[in-house]
Amino acid sequence: MVSDSITVGWAGFKRGFWRGQPMSIGILFYGLAFGLLSREAGIWLAEAMAMSAAIYSGTAQIAAASALTGTGIDGGGSAGIAAVAAAIVLLNARYLLYSASMWPWLSKTSPAFAYPTLAVLGDGNWVLSMAAYNDGERDAGFVLGSGVASFGPWLLGTFAGATMGGLLADPKALGVDFLLVAFSAAMAIGTVRKAKRVPYANLIVAAIVALVVDRFAPGGWTIVAAGLAGGLVAALTHKPDTTQGAA
Amino acid sequence: MFRPEFLPVLAAMAAASLFCRVGGYMLMRFIPITPRVEAALKGTPLAVMVGIVLPVAMKGNIPELIALAAVALAMRFARDEMVAALIGVFVVAIGRWLIV
Repeated sequence: MVSDSITVGWAGFKRGFWRGQPMSIGILFYGLAFGLLSREAGIWLAEAMAMSAAIYSGTAQIAAASALTGTGIDGGGSAGIAAVAAAIVLLNARYLLYSASMWPWLSKTSPAFAYPTLAVLGDGNWVLSMAAYNDGERDAGFVLGSGVASFGPWLLGTFAGATMGGLLADPKALGVDFLLVAFSAAMAIGTVRKAKRVPYANLIVAAIVALVVDRFAPGGWTIVAAGLAGGLVAALTHKPDTTQGAA
Repeated sequence: MFRPEFLPVLAAMAAASLFCRVGGYMLMRFIPITPRVEAALKGTPLAVMVGIVLPVAMKGNIPELIALAAVALAMRFARDEMVAALIGVFVVAIGRWLIV
């Protein structure tokens, strides 16, 4: 189970793309929100599209857009540019964790496949892909397919938001911001149910760390801290004969 | 259309994002995949999910709490995470509409 051979195929891509569809609805609205905001921040359409393609992170782009509102589109010189870049690294620190855990999925694929796949990795498709791996999926096309499923709507949403503006309903009223939370809750329940032994220590430590960090540094840091703590606990409580249930 | 002075900003932002997306993966090149490391990688998603859900639950807003309960209930019957998540979104949207 640990080192099954990884393949890359269309079948996996299609499975991932299909599984990623419901999540893509939420991403579309998130893209709309950024597109709207970018217009208000004085960012031009092509610039907003380039940001969405190159950064592909809602929180980081919204932070960058508001920073650029203050400094002007040139970032106000090299110090301002460095500050925007640093903010993106901090807001996206969870991707360091995500990409590290992608190693079993991607290390046996070619770099020409692995790096573009990492470039379109998002929260939802990462969760989907890790769960799929635990369920025995070994076609890495799944990761790319579920990533592309959200990347397209993200660009489309950015375009629509930046061009059409406020024609659309408030995404929050539609509950779109809740999709990742609801999905994570469902996946957590599913993961615990499938585990051979319920990883109580992992759950409890992650919960405590999440609560503490959320008080002092909410947002992405809660995810990073909880993920690191849970991973550490999983490593420490690991027993050689029960690898498969340790999810 | 692009303003030329935006290009350095864009390049810096793209590099910062790429660093996070690729950095962890490249780091794993230097870490031997022992069963313990494997267990850590496998245990991380569940902890991340806790980190995503718990702060929202702890805010104590009624629509979100009812929706999370609906997700748990849906998982008992539907057995499909995406179906359960969409039910949760539906419930939260109705909850926000009823409770302003």
